[in-house]
Amino acid sequence: MKTVLEARQVSKIFGGLVAVNKVDLVVPEGSIASIIGPNGAGKTTLFNCISGFYTPELGDVLFNGRKIQGMLTDKVAAMGIARTYQNIRLFKSMTAVENVMVGFEPHLKHGWITAMIKTPGYVKEQKHIVNEASRLLHYVGLAGLGDNLALNLPYGAQRRLEIARALANQPKLLLLDEPTAGMNPQETDVMKDFIRQIRDDLGITIILIEHDMRVVMNISDQISVLDYGQKIAEGNPKEIQANPRVIEAYLGPGAAALSEKYRREKTHDA
Amino acid sequence: MNKQSIQKSAASGMVFGIIVIFFALIGFTVVISGLIQKALGQSLGVGQMPSTSSFLIFLGLLGIWNGWRASRQDKHETLNTKKVLGRSTIAGLVAGVLVMVYALIVGVLDNRGINLRTYLSQLSSESVRFFLFNQTIVVGILIHVFYSTLMAVVGGFLALASERSRERVKSTRESIQKWSQDHWLGKLQGNPYVSYVLMGVVLLLLVLLPRTWGAYWNYVMGTVGIYVLLGLGLNIIVGFSGQLVLGYVAFFAIGAYTFALTTSPEPHNLVWNFWIALGVAVLAAALSGILIGLPIMRLRGDYLAIVTLGFGEIIRILLRSDILKDFTMGPRGVRNIAGPTLFGRSFTTDVDFMYLIILAVLLSIFLARRWQESSIGRAWLAISQDETVAQATGVNTQKYKLLALSLGAAFAGLGGALFASRNQFTGPEDHALMVSINVLVLVIVGGMGSIPGVILGAFTLKGLPEILREVENYRLLVFGALLVVMMIIRPEGLWPARRPKLEVPVGQDNEPVHLPATVGGEK
Amino acid sequence: MEALRKKFSLTLPQNSIRIIRIIAALLLLALIIVRAMDVAAKSQFGADTWLRLSVSGLIIGGMYALIAIGYTLVYGILFMINFAHGEVMMIGTFGGYFVFEAFNAIQVSGADGNQLSFLNAYPVIAILLAFLAGMTIAALSGLFLEKFAYRPLRGAPRLVPLISAIGASIFLQNAGQLLFGPQRRQYINPVVLDRGIGWNLEVAGSTVVLTYTGIFSLILSAILMVGLYLLVQRTKLGRAMRAVAQDKKTAALMGINVDQIISRTFVISGALAGAAGVMWGIHNGLFNYYVGFLPGIKAFTAAVLGGIGNIPGAMLGGMFLGIVESVGPAVLGIDFQLKDVLAFTILILVLIFRPSGILGEALTEEKV
Ligand SMILES: Nc1ncnc2c1ncn2[C@@H]1O[C@H](COP(=O)(O)OP(=O)(O)OP(=O)(O)O)[C@@H](O)[C@H]1O
Ligand SMILES: [Mg+2]
Repeated sequence: MKTVLEARQVSKIFGGLVAVNKVDLVVPEGSIASIIGPNGAGKTTLFNCISGFYTPELGDVLFNGRKIQGMLTDKVAAMGIARTYQNIRLFKSMTAVENVMVGFEPHLKHGWITAMIKTPGYVKEQKHIVNEASRLLHYVGLAGLGDNLALNLPYGAQRRLEIARALANQPKLLLLDEPTAGMNPQETDVMKDFIRQIRDDLGITIILIEHDMRVVMNISDQISVLDYGQKIAEGNPKEIQANPRVIEAYLGPGAAALSEKYRREKTHDA
Repeated sequence: MNKQSIQKSAASGMVFGIIVIFFALIGFTVVISGLIQKALGQSLGVGQMPSTSSFLIFLGLLGIWNGWRASRQDKHETLNTKKVLGRSTIAGLVAGVLVMVYALIVGVLDNRGINLRTYLSQLSSESVRFFLFNQTIVVGILIHVFYSTLMAVVGGFLALASERSRERVKSTRESIQKWSQDHWLGKLQGNPYVSYVLMGVVLLLLVLLPRTWGAYWNYVMGTVGIYVLLGLGLNIIVGFSGQLVLGYVAFFAIGAYTFALTTSPEPHNLVWNFWIALGVAVLAAALSGILIGLPIMRLRGDYLAIVTLGFGEIIRILLRSDILKDFTMGPRGVRNIAGPTLFGRSFTTDVDFMYLIILAVLLSIFLARRWQESSIGRAWLAISQDETVAQATGVNTQKYKLLALSLGAAFAGLGGALFASRNQFTGPEDHALMVSINVLVLVIVGGMGSIPGVILGAFTLKGLPEILREVENYRLLVFGALLVVMMIIRPEGLWPARRPKLEVPVGQDNEPVHLPATVGGEK
Repeated sequence: MEALRKKFSLTLPQNSIRIIRIIAALLLLALIIVRAMDVAAKSQFGADTWLRLSVSGLIIGGMYALIAIGYTLVYGILFMINFAHGEVMMIGTFGGYFVFEAFNAIQVSGADGNQLSFLNAYPVIAILLAFLAGMTIAALSGLFLEKFAYRPLRGAPRLVPLISAIGASIFLQNAGQLLFGPQRRQYINPVVLDRGIGWNLEVAGSTVVLTYTGIFSLILSAILMVGLYLLVQRTKLGRAMRAVAQDKKTAALMGINVDQIISRTFVISGALAGAAGVMWGIHNGLFNYYVGFLPGIKAFTAAVLGGIGNIPGAMLGGMFLGIVESVGPAVLGIDFQLKDVLAFTILILVLIFRPSGILGEALTEEKV
C-alpha cells in the first residue's frame, strides 16, 4: 500500500526538553492511525511538526514522498494536510459557514481585483463555495446552524465545525487532535463512527490523537504509543493492549507486572 | 448594612471625589459649566466665569450619578429605602469630604496670595473662587459637602425608583416596539424600495448641502470627509486584517508630498495633470505600504505597531530636517499645490472640493465594502481572529496582510493628496503623530471593521470638536479616556460590524458528499 | 522577488532566507564601516569631542536603560507593550520637580547664620526626597494604570490592551499638559549639583567637562540596575515574578498570587521610570508634559534591541542606544538633527535582522 505520511527520526526540542525524540512513523493511504500516550508525551508536538507549525530540529517529514518540514503552514495545508486542534480554535466571531469557507482558501482562484469588480467568474466561485460549505456543514451534522457565530455553538458542534473546516481544505491527510475530548460516552460513540465514515466516504487518511481507549481500539488500523517523546510501541490494537511497556507508561512502573499477576490469578480462579 | 456594602459605597464616593478634584485641576469644571450655561440659553462673555448655578447643575449631575452607582451594587438584589439611603449618604459624604479638603487647601493657599498658576496652570484665583461658589472658604466647603451628599441621596432614590418601575418601563418599551414592528417598521424593513429611497435622500443631500451651507461648513465637512477616507483605509488594516499600525500618517504624508512635489512649481517645477498626480500619489503610498510591511511580516503584531510608529516619525523628522530641504522645501513646506482640473477648466471653489471629497468617499466606501464582503474580507477577518490558525487553514497570511497594508495605505495616499490640494499647501506639521492617533481613535470608537462605524467615528471625533470649540483643549484627554473605557466596556465599538447570513439550505436526503471531486477548482 | 522566493521556498525556505539576511546584514555593516572610516579620515572631530559624545551617550543610555527595564518586565509577564510607560516617567519628573520647588521656597538659617533655602542647606536630604517622591508617585501611577486600564482586559485579544495602553498614554500626556501647562519648566538643582559644573579633563588640548549631574545620574542608574537585578534574581518576589513570566497558570497552581505579582511588577517598573524621570530633570533641566514621549519610545527600542523580556538585555540595549544616538551621527557624518531617525532606523534593522534582539533567545514558538 502507498505511504501517505512518513516521519523519519523526527525530533523537537524546547530549551532542554526533548518533546519529540527520534520518532519514526509510517502511515499507509486510507488508514486510521492513532497516536496515544500519557499527558505531555509529545503527541500534539508531533502533529505540530507534521503540519508545519514547528520545524523539527532533526529528522524528515515526508508527505507523499516529498519533504515538507520547514514549509509554512499554509503551504502544507495547500498540499493536502488539514488538522483540528486539541483546544478548539475556531474563528470565533465568524459564522459557521464563514469558518468553513475560509477552509476553501487554498483552492480559490480569484483575487482582490476580480472581487472588486465582481466578475462573473468570481461570483460563480463564491456561490460555489457557499454551496459547498453549506453541504459540508450538512455532512458534519450542523445543517441549519451555519449562520450562527462560531462562539455561540455548543461544544460538540464546535468540534464538528473544526472538522468541517479542515475538510474544506480538501485534504488527503487529516490530523485530529483529541476530537472526543470533553464528550460524554454517547457523543463519543457518534464521533467515533463519524471519523470512520469520513475515511470510508472520502478516502481520507486520518491520524488521530485520542485518550479514549474504546475509540482507539475500535477504529484504529495502527497504533503508535509515545512516552516522554519517544515511540515505545507500535502495532495493531491487540498488540498494543498486550504490550507491557504501554501499560507501564500509562500506569507507572511495576504496573505491568501487577496486571499480569492479576490476569493470571483470574485465569487461575476460573 | 454589611461591611462590604459600606466599603463599596465609600469606594464609589472616593472615585467621584477624585474625579471632581481632577476636573477642577484641569479646568474642566469651568468649561463644562460654561457649556451648560450656553445650553440653558444664557450668554457667556469671553474670559468670563460661568454662573454658579450652571456649576451647581454640573456638580449635581455628578453627585446623582455617584449616588446611583453606589446604590446599585449588585444587579440581583432588590433595593429598599434603608439600603439606598445608607449607601448614597456614605458615597456622597466621602466624595464631599474629599472635595472639601481639596477646596480648603486651594482656597487657603489662594487667600494667602500664592499664585497657584505657576504650578497648576488652570488654578487662577478666579477659578478657585468659582469652585467655592464665590463664597468664603468656610461657606464654600460646607456647600460642597452638603450638596454632594444631598445629590447622592437623590441619585440613590432615583435608582430605587427606576428599579421599582423597571418592569413597567420594560413592558411599555416592548409594547411600543411590537406596535411599530406590526404597523410600519416591519413593513418598511421588508420593502426593498425603502433602502433606495433612503439612498436617494442621502444622495440628494450630498448634492444640495455643499451648495447651500457655505464655505465654513464645506471646510469642516471636507475635513471630516478626508478623515472618513483615512478611517476607511486604516480600517482595512486594523479593522479588517487586525494589524495595528501606529504610523498611518506616514502614508498620508507620502501621498500629500508626492502630489505636492509633482504639481507645485516649487521646488521641482513639475506641473503634472491633477489626475495623474493623484494616481501617482495613491500608487506611491500603496508601494510604501508594501515596502514597510515586507520585512516585518513575519513578526508579531505589536512590533508592527512600533515599527510603523517609528517609520512615521522618521518621515516627519526627515521632512523637517535640512537634508531634504532641496527636495521637499524643509520646514517651510510646499506651496501653490494644484487644484483639480477637468478638460482644462479648474474646479477649486469650496463647493467643487466638497463634491470631489464626497466622490472620493463614496468610491472608497464602495471599494471597502466590496473587499469586506468578498473572500478577501473573510480571509482578513480570519487572520485578525487567529493568525496562526488562519495560516494553517491555508490562508496565505503574508500575502493578505501585505495586501491590506498597501490598500489601506493607498486610501491614505488619496486622502493626503486631496488634503494637500485643498489647502494648496503641505508641510511637516501636517503630518504629526497626532494624525495617526486621531484616525486610529475614530476607527476604534466607531467599531473596528465596521464601515458605518468609521463614518460615525469621523463625524463624532472630527466634526463634534469643530462645533464644540470650547472643549478643543480637552479633546485628546477625552479620546484617551474613551479608548481605555471603550476597550473595557465595549471593545467592538459604537457600531460594530455584523456578519452576513450565507448558509444555503441543503436537501434533507443524506447523500454522501463527494468532496474532492466537486469542491473548489482543483482538478 | 516573489517568484524568487517561491522557487526557493519549496526547496530551502529557511536557509535561503537566512542566507540572504546574513549577506544583507554584512553588506550593511560594511557600508557603515566604510562610511565611518571615510568620516574618520577627514578627522573632523578631535578626541575631546569623541569623549564628550560618548559620556553624554552613556548618561542618557543609563536613563533609557532604567525605562527599558520597565518595558521588558511588563512585556515578559503580560506580553504587552506598556505604551504609557513614558508618561509614567513624565509623572516622576514632575514629582521630583515639585520637591525641589518646595524646598527651594523654604528658608532656613545655615551654619554661619545666613538665610539659605532648605534645598541648599540640606542638599542630600532634598535629593533623596526628590527621588523618593518621583519614584513613589511614578510607582503609584504604574499601579493605578495596571489596575484601571489593563487588569480588566486580562485574557482579551492582544490588540485590546495595547489600544488601552495607547489611550492611557494619550490621557496621561494631556492630563499633564492641562494640569501643569504646556510651558517648559526648569529644574532648580541644589548648588552642589549645578548643571554645567563638574570635573574638568584636559583632552587633546581642550577641556572636557564631566558634569556632576551626569556622573551622579550614571552612578545612580548603575546602582538601581544592580539593585533590580539582585531583586529579580535573589528575592522571593523576584522568583515569583520569573515564575509568573514563565507560566501564569502553573505559577498560580504553585500558590503564587498572580495579580499581586503583576501589580508589583508595575510598581517596580514605575519606580525605575520615575527615577529616570528625576534624573532627566536634574541632568537636562528643561522639561514639560511631553518629556516622557520620546524617551519612552527610545527605551522601548532599547528593550527590543536587547531582546524583549530580557533584563540584562534591556540594560545593554539602553546603553547601546544612548551611545549610538550621541556618537552615531558624528561617526556617520550626518546631522545631529537626525539622531532620532538613527534610533528608529536601528529599531527597524534589528527587527529585520535579529528580531529576538542582542541577548534574546529565539522567540518561543506558540503552543498550539
Ligand atoms: N511551544 C512550546 N514551548 C515549550 N514547551 C512546549 C511547547 N509545546 C509543548 N511543550 C512541552 O512539550 C511537552 C509535550 O507537549 P505536548 O503538547 O506535545 O503533549 P501531548 O502529548 O499532546 O499531551 P496532552 O495529552 O496533554 O495533550 C510538554 O512537556 C509541553 O509542556
Ligand atoms: Mg496534546
